[in-house]
Amino acid sequence: MASITLNHVAKHFGPKVAIADIDLNVKDGEFLVLLGPSGCGKSTLLRMLAGLETVTSGEIHVGGKRVDQLPPSARDMAFVFQSYALYPHMTVRRNIAFPLIMRQFKWWFHLPVIGGLAKRRIERSPAVSDLVEKTAKTLSLTEMLDRYPRTLSGGQRQRVALGRAMVRQPEVFLMDEPLSNLDAKLRSAMRAEITRLHQRVGGTFVYVTHDQVEAMTMGTRIALMRDGVIQQFGTPREIYTSPANTYVARFIGTPPMNLIEGRIEGNAIRIGEALLPLPARLLAAAQAAKAPSVLLGIRPGALAIGPAGAAGGLAGSVSFVEHVGAESVIAVGLAQARTAHPEEGEVPGEIMVTTSGYSELARGEAVSLSLDLSETVLFSAETGHRLDPGPAFG
Amino acid sequence: MKTPASHALRMALIMVLLSAALFPIYWMVVTSLTSSANLFADRPQMVPDPAQAFNYAETFAKTGVLLWLKNSAIVAIGTMVLSILLAILPAYALSRFRFHGKGVLGFVLFATQMLPEAMLVVPLYAIFAKLLLLDTLGGLILANAAFTVPVITWILKGAIDGVPLEIEEAARIDGCSRLDIVLGIVLPIVAPTLAAASVIAFFHGWNEYVFAQTLILSQELRTASVGLASFVGELSTPIHTVMAIGVMYTLPAVAFYLMVQRYVVAGMTAGSVKG
Repeated sequence: MASITLNHVAKHFGPKVAIADIDLNVKDGEFLVLLGPSGCGKSTLLRMLAGLETVTSGEIHVGGKRVDQLPPSARDMAFVFQSYALYPHMTVRRNIAFPLIMRQFKWWFHLPVIGGLAKRRIERSPAVSDLVEKTAKTLSLTEMLDRYPRTLSGGQRQRVALGRAMVRQPEVFLMDEPLSNLDAKLRSAMRAEITRLHQRVGGTFVYVTHDQVEAMTMGTRIALMRDGVIQQFGTPREIYTSPANTYVARFIGTPPMNLIEGRIEGNAIRIGEALLPLPARLLAAAQAAKAPSVLLGIRPGALAIGPAGAAGGLAGSVSFVEHVGAESVIAVGLAQARTAHPEEGEVPGEIMVTTSGYSELARGEAVSLSLDLSETVLFSAETGHRLDPGPAFG
Repeated sequence: MKTPASHALRMALIMVLLSAALFPIYWMVVTSLTSSANLFADRPQMVPDPAQAFNYAETFAKTGVLLWLKNSAIVAIGTMVLSILLAILPAYALSRFRFHGKGVLGFVLFATQMLPEAMLVVPLYAIFAKLLLLDTLGGLILANAAFTVPVITWILKGAIDGVPLEIEEAARIDGCSRLDIVLGIVLPIVAPTLAAASVIAFFHGWNEYVFAQTLILSQELRTASVGLASFVGELSTPIHTVMAIGVMYTLPAVAFYLMVQRYVVAGMTAGSVKG
């Protein structure tokens, strides 16, 4: 059993708070993704789990056992680094076998010749060599066992790093952006490989990335972090459909969720000129919050684009169109309504719409957008927190 | 643009510089194989005379050159081993740990290099006399190491700085203690620098003269540098004997360098991390 529990875990570097009081519960066998922008503390949290960083306060339990005071090697965790961190002076075989050799290590292994012979003996013992060969076979590294890391490609090196982690058969696998040094094609292949590895070997995985595609495709649950605080902890679907706040809404999705300023008027929401009746779920939430100013969150795919002048639609004009194969991304500048996109480079009042197929719309063309309010969420304009319980899954 | 002319010019320049560097060595060999009569001839002998090889036999027989070379080898190897052993841990600490006085310590190590040996020889003599280290090869090794350890510490620190921290962290997770990391991971990675540092320490011990002349009193503990200098007399100097000893003194050093230099290769960390 390797559930991971973090109780009020915090990390301070001098006056700087890297991790602020995190509580987290990862179930046995889960694939948790720590997602967030650079500097959000996700790698620090992972390193604290591994024992490479000390914990300023709080407790970490793995499988019910407190580990935050234990050295890294006593935590039964394997760590895969972004930079692979292979031992350059050892062959692939020795790199993979190294954790197993260290289990039987004696001080005199440091002696020249005698130590070398002893290490080679362990490496060649049936127990170790079988495991190394099996791991290498799983990762298609058999041909490369006697080569040195410098002769391998990036993808092969990362597989060696994975092999070194797998061979220990640890309870917990920790991975710190292991794919970010690979090119896009190799990355997607390795993504599938790591997911398969998780299904095959079991164990609890904690995977750090800033790539939301990795997070959405690999994780059974995602903890989205910002400034050392977990913004939302949930399944990829929950995070996508019911973001906890406007930050999560804007972080996940390409293009991200549109946030449109609106006012609650009776049973409806006013956006610019349009007055749209609210579905029961949103209405109840808006009334409970007692705040007339809200932000309506809507995914680009939940907007339909039609000819200008349609009743009940938001008027606007096309700013640009991007064709990305199966779908088109259309930026529409709204005539009346305003958006709340705080990012740099955002044009005020511009929202994104995705439509399937090749869009023939031209720049400057007047259009009307219709909203499917059943797929929207409401955020408080003041705090940015989500007001409604989120769309029901069905 | 690489034209044949510029290539030829470059080669010519290299040949000139190389001849200038190698000529003294050639001259040493030639002189050691020159008869006494020809030593002061008007037209110096430019090619070695094999018939004069008995110069060497005579040198072996009449001087303690073998003993001196043995002493020099003990001092050089001792200096090298002691310097490397003493420098590894401080170099690692200076590279990896943060502690109070780190900057000062680094500077003090550096400052030791500013003091000339001749200035230290008198206080060292007094201290060695108290510690009964005078006239021992061990004492001489210690004095030499005092000079080489700071340099080697700095050189090794620079190399250890270049070892990615992730490799050490990976080793910690794989079950290595700090000492295991230093001995089993860091040292093999910085092996080329270690080899270069060994060369520096070895040659310091092999060539050193001031300490060897002052701290060693008895004939049988003399090193080759002192032994060689003892032939330079006020009235006469047997040049061909001095040169024969010079050749014998140079050869082991060259052999050592040739042995070690193949380890002094770059690119050991290639492939460990992305970069």
